[in-house]
Amino acid sequence: MSTEKALQQLSPTADPKKYWTSLGQIEQSPEFQKMVEREFPEGASEMTDPMSRRRFINLMGASMALAGLASCRRPVEKIIPYVIQPEQITPGIAQRYATTMPFGLSAFGLTVESHEGRPTKLEGNHLHPASMGRADAFIQASILDLYDPDRSQLVQKNGKKATWAAFVDFWSKLYVSYLNNGGQGLAILSESFASPTLYRLKQNFTQTFPKAVWATYEPVSDENIFAGISAATGQSLQPNYDYSKANVVLALDSDFLMMDSENLTAARGFATGRRVASETDSMNRLYVVEPAFTITGGMADHRLRLQSGQVGTFLATLAKALQRQNVKVDNRWLPAQNEPSSIDTAWIKELARDLVANQSQSLIVAGRRQPAEVHALVFALNQSLGNIGKTVVYRALNDAAAPSTESLVELSKALKSGEVETLFILGGNPAYSAPADLAFDKLLTTAKQTIHFGKNADETGSLTTWQLPQSHYLESWGDTRSADGTASVIQPLIEPLFDSRNTVEMLSLITTGALPKAYDVVRETWNSLIPGNFEAGWRRVLHDGVLADSATPVIHPAIDKKLATFLQAHPFPATSATAASMEIIFTASASTFDGRFANIGWLQELPDPNTKLTWDNAALLSHTTAQKLGVKNEDLVAVELKGRMISLPVWIMPGQADWTVVVALGYGRTKAGRIGNYIGQNTYTLRTSESLHFTRGAKITPTNGIYALACTQDFHGLDVEKLASEGIDRRLPTLIREATLAEYRNHPEFAGQESEFPNNSMWPDWKYDTGYQWGMSIDLNVCTGCNACTIACQSENNIPIVGKRQVAKGREMHWLRLDRYYSGNLDAPQMVFEPVGCQQCEMAPCEQVCPVAATTHDAEGLNVMTYNRCVGTRYCSNNCPYKVRRFNFFNYTKDTPEIARMAMNPDVTVRFRGVMEKCTYCLQRINRGKQVAKKENREVRDGEIVVACQQTCPTDAIVFGNINDPDSQVSKMKKQNRDYGLLAELNTRPRTSYLAKLRNPNPELELSNHRG
Amino acid sequence: MKTIEPNRSPSEIAVSAHGALESPLITGNQTFHSVTEKIAGILERKTPKGWYVGFSLAVSLLMLLVGTVGYLVWEGTGIWGVNNPVGWGWAIVNFIWWVGIGHAGTLISAILFLLRQQWRTSINRFAEAMTLFAVICALLFPGIHVGRMWVIYYFFPIPNQMSMWPNFRSPLLWDFFAVGTYFTVSLLFWYTGLIPDLATMRDRAKSRMKKIVFGLLSLGWRGGNRQWQHYELSYLILAGLSTPLVLSVHSVVSTDFATSIIPGWHTTIFPPYFVAGAIFSGFAMVMTLALIARKIFGLEHFITLNHLEKMNKIMLVTGSMVGYAYIMEFFIAWYSGNEFESFAFINRAFGPYAWAYWTMFICNVLLPQLFWFKKIRTSIPIMFTMTIFINIGMWFERFVITVTSLSRDFLPSSWDYYIPTIFDVFTFIGSFGLFFTLFLLFLRFLPMISMAEVKGVLPQADPHYGHDHASKKGGAA
Repeated sequence: MSTEKALQQLSPTADPKKYWTSLGQIEQSPEFQKMVEREFPEGASEMTDPMSRRRFINLMGASMALAGLASCRRPVEKIIPYVIQPEQITPGIAQRYATTMPFGLSAFGLTVESHEGRPTKLEGNHLHPASMGRADAFIQASILDLYDPDRSQLVQKNGKKATWAAFVDFWSKLYVSYLNNGGQGLAILSESFASPTLYRLKQNFTQTFPKAVWATYEPVSDENIFAGISAATGQSLQPNYDYSKANVVLALDSDFLMMDSENLTAARGFATGRRVASETDSMNRLYVVEPAFTITGGMADHRLRLQSGQVGTFLATLAKALQRQNVKVDNRWLPAQNEPSSIDTAWIKELARDLVANQSQSLIVAGRRQPAEVHALVFALNQSLGNIGKTVVYRALNDAAAPSTESLVELSKALKSGEVETLFILGGNPAYSAPADLAFDKLLTTAKQTIHFGKNADETGSLTTWQLPQSHYLESWGDTRSADGTASVIQPLIEPLFDSRNTVEMLSLITTGALPKAYDVVRETWNSLIPGNFEAGWRRVLHDGVLADSATPVIHPAIDKKLATFLQAHPFPATSATAASMEIIFTASASTFDGRFANIGWLQELPDPNTKLTWDNAALLSHTTAQKLGVKNEDLVAVELKGRMISLPVWIMPGQADWTVVVALGYGRTKAGRIGNYIGQNTYTLRTSESLHFTRGAKITPTNGIYALACTQDFHGLDVEKLASEGIDRRLPTLIREATLAEYRNHPEFAGQESEFPNNSMWPDWKYDTGYQWGMSIDLNVCTGCNACTIACQSENNIPIVGKRQVAKGREMHWLRLDRYYSGNLDAPQMVFEPVGCQQCEMAPCEQVCPVAATTHDAEGLNVMTYNRCVGTRYCSNNCPYKVRRFNFFNYTKDTPEIARMAMNPDVTVRFRGVMEKCTYCLQRINRGKQVAKKENREVRDGEIVVACQQTCPTDAIVFGNINDPDSQVSKMKKQNRDYGLLAELNTRPRTSYLAKLRNPNPELELSNHRG
Repeated sequence: MKTIEPNRSPSEIAVSAHGALESPLITGNQTFHSVTEKIAGILERKTPKGWYVGFSLAVSLLMLLVGTVGYLVWEGTGIWGVNNPVGWGWAIVNFIWWVGIGHAGTLISAILFLLRQQWRTSINRFAEAMTLFAVICALLFPGIHVGRMWVIYYFFPIPNQMSMWPNFRSPLLWDFFAVGTYFTVSLLFWYTGLIPDLATMRDRAKSRMKKIVFGLLSLGWRGGNRQWQHYELSYLILAGLSTPLVLSVHSVVSTDFATSIIPGWHTTIFPPYFVAGAIFSGFAMVMTLALIARKIFGLEHFITLNHLEKMNKIMLVTGSMVGYAYIMEFFIAWYSGNEFESFAFINRAFGPYAWAYWTMFICNVLLPQLFWFKKIRTSIPIMFTMTIFINIGMWFERFVITVTSLSRDFLPSSWDYYIPTIFDVFTFIGSFGLFFTLFLLFLRFLPMISMAEVKGVLPQADPHYGHDHASKKGGAA
């Protein structure tokens, strides 16, 4: 079947809404079929199998390092429990402490579950403005970064064992000489941070060593956003978006729901404007213009695929359209040339009309990859639309070392010319992540001595003279400022596991020549921050994690006169990328970010929300591009850019702009550790300082190679035949129910159709009408597909990782997965997510077939697993229509290093091989809640028991509670008319139900959108 | 071969033994003595070299099985190709296949016995032995396919430290009882039938060892009138007991699938369809083995073309029944109007496993139709080839049912393809090692044809034998 025919079949005339899961399903070529027949997973030698690789790992290092860890090590300094303050520690009762995770310029307030001095789970801190009680996948998985067995464990000099005393001794001698010459020849390369203490120390450093160089580099940052705002206003400002107030949002190449900074507040705000309780409610409208699918694009009501380089042109065209609709747009902001014909003018016109109609209640936001000129114009348009001060406010960037690629370039020049004698690298991994044109790894030899202060002896640390172990933030004292300026403390949950120091201590050492206690340094800073009684205030801060009311004041910037000249000097390209000169886009990976999380197994095995790939990056291409290049999924291609070349497997993505290739950063590390080494390809080798984010001039050449990828949904490109694709088309509308807001208003009961099973059983039903009856409701309308719940579940329930080869075989263990489906045509599809965990069926098909009664029903309506009783027939999994049961085909936790086992939740069994497991609705949390209530001689209150996925969901899409209580939140959600049970027609009576998805398309645009 | 008795024309024997015109059951003018000589003689002669070759081959395969199972216990179920949607792979396919093969033995022995089909006597002994060995092979698989073999005793309804019964609602437990019962009754039935022959062996035994072993095994059989009376009665009762079991075992096995909710499994036609399929495959396997044994041991007079043709007819009937079931499944899937149901069957025939489906369909439905022609029905090379194809086809039937239904069930997001590993192959091939080891031991140490029963269908056994004729010869050998 040709693709054209396939597209015709998916044309909008064919009703009802058609879904498809992958490209393969639509596109069917004989080569592809041949590839399927090849049954690749057996012979694919390229696969790296951590299961077997881990065999070879000698645990000795970790065990020795942990010899002193047998008993708990609680910090000596006083920290205050967050929720419960027991007279003494009760073994088995977890405590919660507040701390903060610094992440570039961002900071996420956390509460950490700690079992007898051992932190096990990270959750957001309700009082912290950037996390608001939620956490994304990266934040939650950073617990494994603490327990990473491949962390640097001792000081090394030239690769040999050394001590901190030796280093202090070494530095104190140098220190004196630098003190005398004002720091001539001294340089620091740091990560970006927003921290009162570190900033104070940085100021001290600059005062002490006025001639020293300080560079700040982040491979993935908001640098362009700051530059754009600075060009527009003349000030260095941090934007704070409030999506909850925006009726219309236009996202330009921005994944504000997941990969851009401050994603938690954005998702929370966006969901607030999105949530609908009944057909009379209104909801916001999201327009997305982007080159490749992001989850933000998946949420879009209207999505336009456009090359990254065209986004600026699009914005200029929009500005003109706004101008025509009487929005104040200065002509000097706009390029002189005519609008390019490649952009849909009807789309822009209607978008402009929508923005004008919602002035001061709309928001234009551009992504961090877009250049400064786009951000400058975005600022100007938001200003003209009256959005500034309403949906977006600006604050000064306080106490921050903002990233500057330019400073790294300058530093490189200084290194090259031999001006730098001593180079401190404070965190980060520039030898791996610096732009390729700088050849930073080679420059490291030009300095007389280089000192890497980092958690791992990584690509950088293995090249420097000294490698000094850096403490994890959970072992450190420190502080941060979040995006709105709110100050919060980083307090340690555990004493450093290894012989490490934290950043505050290190910077103090550099500045003063002596190693102080970070606790004292931080308190010194906070002396000036805390108003009133310091000790009382400090205790409050330790308890809350944040300093109340410390947000910096909102600034109302005006447009700088220089904006026009800036925009004239940086015109938007009018042409688009072509076959001869393709556009390459470097994105942060949803698994490793910029490579820093590469050694975290949870994240490597977490399917990318859009591609569903694990354990690899790929060259993402649109299907037209792939067809014209003659390549298919998993074909190896040479990606060439300005004389540099790497080899990557192809992965075809629907809805991607033609002639773009999207590659994720953060892979192909060589010194990340046992998990992250040699996973995927290092795309930094193509990235230069002039084109950090996207550029043209890339060339793709097919090679003969094949590289097997492990994908969790479109297994083995199997869904290729027409029959299957038609079958899927027919069934999906019942699995994911979706309507437009207008359709919903006309047919409020659209979701509930045909899901009821005629109950004419011969036997009376078991009455679940007494006591607690647990149930869950998932609102598909606000679920963004961000993966946070999957990691929350993995962390809470000790779910093992299985490695690429096992994933390729279809044996991943996630209890909660995110099913992703597409509807519409290949070029302009819509994407939708559906989280599926155990549905806790009242008439559970799994229970009936278990020969040994290992899975049974309890009186509270839960389908419970007795691991001890399980024999492992796998019959239950076969008979589960949702396929949510997971079998331990091997002893997956056997090779988990001793230290990584410390991240295990002691309240949950670690399952042995041969045992079936599945979502339990966090039974341990239910029991804890019931115990607490029983001790207080009362019923469990609604909202008192919060399951892990629900707890972390940034959009509150998941609600759990007692369905026997008509006033509980979950009961109210289930009473909504959008409620439906997945496959409820099988009479499984699932306790989890879904609220149907809605989209709110612009009625004027609805037709053209479908036209694609 | 020497015959002591005078020649009689085969047609006369047939007329006198059955009172009807039919081709004779036993040819070559056998007498009671010649039967004993022929069959017991096989065991008393020096072991042929060929047996050693076959036996060492079988034992090598058995060692492969032992090794693979050892590795399985050591490493885990993951060495096989099973994955998340496809929780059951070759192990379960092999289980059903072997159980199916194990059907013909008891069917031949019991049902045909009750129906007074005397042609069964030549083949029932080794058909029963085959049944037992096939069931042993079958029982191996549910035992090793579970994740934790060391707690398999949780299946047993015995008092235990957990004070727990197994789940009587689970078809797997029914399986356990059904196959267990079938095995026990089949064993008893087989052993009861063996007793007179064991006594013959004891009587003919020359070595002390053989005397003791056969003496113990023959349970003091003297061949007295009373003993024969008791024997006949108990044999009849056991035949009566086994008969419903023949039907129940595979019906129960089919409930593993039929009671589930997976499209392609959830089908009411399964019990009769499985039984027909089991008889079909069982007869095919009996034929395969019979044809080989007949050739090697020169049993052409005992297993005659007449027997073979009758069995071919049964295969034609059961094959057509199976074909009817295949077609009916499609009809019902369409008639139900259920999207999932119809997809499951279309996917079977035209999806990624279409190759398996059409292998099954050709082998099981189309090829046996050739048995309508007498020429084909009576051609030994053709029927041998056919039985091999039927066995392959029936293995694929179980594969198609088990794997295709699981690989694509309700939610497309969980669909996956199942690819067996080398260890799946090893376990399957290894089970042949177990089967043939047992079978070759049986051929070497026990009479492969029931001497007592064959004698019973000889014309001489007829009480009226010779009364209408001048000759009084032909009494006891």
